[in-house]
Amino acid sequence: MALPRLMTIPAAALGVVGLLAACGGNGSDSKTPTAGPTTGVTISVVLATDPPPQAALDAFTKQTGITVKWTNVDWDSLQTKITAAVTAKTYFADATDVDWSRVGQLSKLNAFYPMDELMDTKSLEADMPQLTSFTAGGHVVGVPYDASFSVTTVNKKMFTEAGVALPKTLDEYTAALKTLKSKGTVQYPLNIPFAAAEGLSTYWYQTTAAFGGTVLDDKYKPAFTDPASPGYKAAAWMVDAMKQGLVPPGNINVTDTQGQQTLMAKGQVASVFSDYSGMVGSLYNVPKSSTVVNQVAYLPTPGVTGPGKNNSNPDGIGVPRTAKYAQAAALFIKWFTDADNQADFAGLSGPDKAMPGYALPSHVSAVQKLADKGSLIGGKDLATMLQTSSQPIFPGGAPSWYPQFSQAVYTNLHSAATGSVTVEQALKKIGDTADQLSASGS
Amino acid sequence: MARRALMTSRHPVRWFGVAFILLWSLIPLYWVVNVSFQTDAEVGSKPAHYLPPHPTLANYKALLSGAGDIPDQVRQGTFNIVVECTVSTVITVVVATLAAYAFARMTFRGRDLLFYGVLATMALPAYATLIPLYRLMSTAGLVNTYTGIILVYVSGFLPLATWIMHNYMVSLPVALEEAASVDGASRMQVLTRIVLPLAMPGVVSTAIITFLFAWGQFLFPLVLSSDISTQPLTVVITALQGRHEVPYALLSAAGVLAITVPAAIAVALNRYVVNGLLAGSVK
Repeated sequence: MALPRLMTIPAAALGVVGLLAACGGNGSDSKTPTAGPTTGVTISVVLATDPPPQAALDAFTKQTGITVKWTNVDWDSLQTKITAAVTAKTYFADATDVDWSRVGQLSKLNAFYPMDELMDTKSLEADMPQLTSFTAGGHVVGVPYDASFSVTTVNKKMFTEAGVALPKTLDEYTAALKTLKSKGTVQYPLNIPFAAAEGLSTYWYQTTAAFGGTVLDDKYKPAFTDPASPGYKAAAWMVDAMKQGLVPPGNINVTDTQGQQTLMAKGQVASVFSDYSGMVGSLYNVPKSSTVVNQVAYLPTPGVTGPGKNNSNPDGIGVPRTAKYAQAAALFIKWFTDADNQADFAGLSGPDKAMPGYALPSHVSAVQKLADKGSLIGGKDLATMLQTSSQPIFPGGAPSWYPQFSQAVYTNLHSAATGSVTVEQALKKIGDTADQLSASGS
Repeated sequence: MARRALMTSRHPVRWFGVAFILLWSLIPLYWVVNVSFQTDAEVGSKPAHYLPPHPTLANYKALLSGAGDIPDQVRQGTFNIVVECTVSTVITVVVATLAAYAFARMTFRGRDLLFYGVLATMALPAYATLIPLYRLMSTAGLVNTYTGIILVYVSGFLPLATWIMHNYMVSLPVALEEAASVDGASRMQVLTRIVLPLAMPGVVSTAIITFLFAWGQFLFPLVLSSDISTQPLTVVITALQGRHEVPYALLSAAGVLAITVPAAIAVALNRYVVNGLLAGSVK
């Protein structure tokens, strides 16, 4: 029957864009942005977050003559809507989300205006290290408006109870987890979300970064099939942790958010190696949803010989080619990603100017201000990590075939964790997939 | 002999099979209801609670009562889904009845080709039409309107509805219609005064099936609606979850609210649904 298929997966629509991008499809004309009206217009901004305070939006309108109609759509649904609009070459919004993982796709489809043609992005580079995650084909596809990156979190109370010092290297970290388990402080000290979902892929990328490498090289070739490579070691370390009983057995079907909410926030595990920046303030220190308030802290990523790298996975904002008011949207983005405004949105000037759910500005200077004022939990650590150790997951930007690659990553690593394939077999399959995608997408 | 014994209603294997299927189907539903009466803290505690330790209506109150974004959105989403499902059901049933009557009783060139052509569209994966429909609706200025969503629903459900109604109508005795015609009744009079009263169970079945399918839609209204002014409840519910946090208790309560109407219809009018799906299968 056809009708029930109306309810089928949004992933099918996402696949359409992936296919088009892989085939080198050009989703839109390469028109340069026209001046367009920038006053007296209403632009539609669609993001997966609540809007800034109305007073701030009103001030922007007074300053520019541009009225903002803000729509908050949940992240997954938003990606489906963006995909549908890009594929149909239809107006959807004047400014909307550009996720780091889709930069390659959207760039290849020419679906968004290069932001460097609409505003001065060069001047942002020094203070906005994650801008590189949004660069593809020499152009900036979107401007990051937050600074999400992977970071290790630990339950300091548990570590103290077990008499274990906070680790600085991966060996120390692994030994600490074993001690926590052997002393009975916690039965399963480590959360790794082994469910076959995106969170498992990003966990592996971050662990690979901690081992000192990336999963793909600068030519998008797999860099993890050699047992001596960081990617191989990272996958082996994750699966070994499962086999050694450091990870709860049920984690085979646990996603990243489930692990954070039901394990780390409930004191069921002592650490998340690849957590998200901002989680301490937004989840672990929130009494309503956590039993470990004031117990969890960020830890400089334990690397091979010292602090390792932190992978960036921020959300950006860009202007679709089908936007009605591209120039006006660019003015809004400039305002929305301004360092001072971001600091206010993150709570520097009190709750009246804060934007709900906004944790970490993409400007280092804004994070620094928050850290100096004590307005950001773990602010000094986060500022240091953002400035010195955050790096894009893919140095040349996410490839256009990233969704298919990620699917191969999480399905095969999941299989390795269940024991149905070995780590070597899993990585070979992922590598073969990457080679095929790279060849067909080039 | 053994096979015959197995087929008897009291055979233990049969009972085991029935029990297994029932549990398989009902346990997830039970769990959603169970979680909806718990707090987030209770939901996340270990071991899990098989019954709410301190049953609370807080999640339902958060969704339905008072002011604020969430109750406003849930109320608007409920209104939207009722409007979209009801109107699309009425239009679908009316058009399907007329089409089915024409296909079942009228003779014209290309009738069978047209009929099977309509049925063949059911084999087309619906999501394959999403992008063209979106573009069409955008060009026509129908994105984020009731009209756009209802039009898409009607076009999606019409083939199945026509098929069900057609099967009903061909199973009715032609003699009654011929007698009415001999007495001077027009085609429309035959349809409205003779055929429709006899086919009323089929009309009800078609309406229920269409309504239930429309109620369960997600992807099409997600893409075709831009904001809360037209988003149905199914789309509004997904917006309750955050990117890094999933409010399980609240989502469960919203899920219970969303399935209440279709569940009530399915339970109360189950025989019509079955009749509709079986129409024409037995002569």
